[in-house]
Amino acid sequence: MKIEKLLHKLHAFFDTDKHKKRLHIEELRRILLELKKKERKIADRLSEVDDIYLIKQYQTELEIIWLQRKKGVAVLQQLKQRKKK
Amino acid sequence: MGSNLGTTTGAWLIAGLGLKVDIATYAMPLLVFGVLCIFQNSKQLKGIGYILSGLGFLLLGIHYMKENFESFENTINLASYAMPGVKGLLIYTALGAIATVIMQSSHATMLLTITAVSVHQITYDNALALVIGSNIGTTITAIIAALGANTQGKRLAASHLLINLFTGIVALVFIEQFAVAVDIISAGLGIGAADNAMKLAAFHSLFNLAAVVMFIPFINQQALFLEKLFIEKRSNMFEPKYLDSSAMDFPETVVESVKLESIHLYDNAIHIILHTFGLHKRDLKNSEWIRQRIGQNKYPIEYDIDASYEKRIKGIYSAIIAFISQAAFTWQMTQSSKLSWLREANKHLVEAIKDTKHLQKNWTHFSASSNTAAINEYNEIAYQIAWHILQIEAIRHDSDNNELPLLSLDALKATIQNDDMQLNRTIEILIRERKISPETGSSLINDSAYTRSIKKNLLRAAETLFLHDNTDKAGIEQQLTLNETEINGVVHTVDKP
Repeated sequence: MKIEKLLHKLHAFFDTDKHKKRLHIEELRRILLELKKKERKIADRLSEVDDIYLIKQYQTELEIIWLQRKKGVAVLQQLKQRKKK
Repeated sequence: MGSNLGTTTGAWLIAGLGLKVDIATYAMPLLVFGVLCIFQNSKQLKGIGYILSGLGFLLLGIHYMKENFESFENTINLASYAMPGVKGLLIYTALGAIATVIMQSSHATMLLTITAVSVHQITYDNALALVIGSNIGTTITAIIAALGANTQGKRLAASHLLINLFTGIVALVFIEQFAVAVDIISAGLGIGAADNAMKLAAFHSLFNLAAVVMFIPFINQQALFLEKLFIEKRSNMFEPKYLDSSAMDFPETVVESVKLESIHLYDNAIHIILHTFGLHKRDLKNSEWIRQRIGQNKYPIEYDIDASYEKRIKGIYSAIIAFISQAAFTWQMTQSSKLSWLREANKHLVEAIKDTKHLQKNWTHFSASSNTAAINEYNEIAYQIAWHILQIEAIRHDSDNNELPLLSLDALKATIQNDDMQLNRTIEILIRERKISPETGSSLINDSAYTRSIKKNLLRAAETLFLHDNTDKAGIEQQLTLNETEINGVVHTVDKP
């Protein structure tokens, strides 16, 4: 391995900010995945119920998850852009 | 007992490594890399740095002690002060205990003893007594710490003293048998008969192992004895339980104490709220059960909220506020902000009780009236509050299994908005159909606002008490939670026909 590459790797290892950013992105991705799973589960339940109250409740939950995911994707894009810079 | 046994590894390290090789050679690189790591930004590297530096200083300390004991050999011979027989045993045991009390570290005494015995400055028999003494002396640290601790802390310190003192007496009485056992074990481990330092480490381990063997079968009896010796004050629901002055020394323990006390306050608060509507916590089973219990109420329910507030809330709330103000002055932002969040959570609980008090007046009046429509609406209010508390309890007890606990709260927030909207819509219909008078309707509208406020305050308190932590995950979840406008938007979108 070239000295320059080694120094670059060492620098990355000691750079706490970069390390934190990477962990943040990983955690955000995991949360988005969990939200997606939850969304699918609720959508399945919604297709099975007839009760108006339950339908409304599931629709509300789906609407909330959609907005949360939208926010999450926006945050993720911002983080990725900052990482590139 | 476990920690006593674990601490013997230090003796093995000193006797095995510290005295056999020129450890000063290893100490310097450890110190250099340790100090370099300490100056890094990363917490992990800092931690590694402190470990390396600590180890480096330990090895260097052993080296200097060894060197200085060796230089004594030519000037003073400490071995000439050796005492044979029982007198020697008792005096050296006392010396070991006193040295440990002064240095506040049995490890330091062990280090001195092993180094001294390795250069023949003290006899092996006297060294054994010093080890026993150091094990007795080490209990003083726990005893000092327990002076300001709660009953559990005092019991723990007493148990430490009891175990170490009793094992010390047993070891002194059977010192010859122990010495023989050490010889046999040492021979089995390949330790030379003349290697007193390693034999001392083996004695230290054997002696602490004996304590484990002797005390494990009687652990329950010991616990009962200590419970009788240190009787815990009967816990009073109306007094602070966790605000111990001994917690004041560390920011983390202050935060934890305030959090536990706030949870105590939360439990008292929901007790008051539920009792106002003739319910108990045990009634929070499911939706049907709550409705059934509300239907079984005998009106009017006379519950003195003011008296309950004075008894169950005021004392604890004041104690929490006083504790926070005494504690939070020189701390880092993290702890201060946590305390500030907890203070807010307590404020929300008090506000929820105050709203319940406002609600109680009309609730008691209309629940006992002859207007069925008004009774139904007030019963619906009681049901909604109880159901909301049940939902919070579910989140509280299931937070470990919930992958996205903070984000799950948004659905509950939407339910609050939706319920409020539906309640107001029903009131309008009832007024229009003349089932309730406009005066009753206006009271109901006011009370629906109190209901919404009670629910919101309870949810905000619960969010801090049961879900907030300082992990990165919680911070990211927080970024994705919806604000009030967004939640209102969701509720209205779904409500559209």
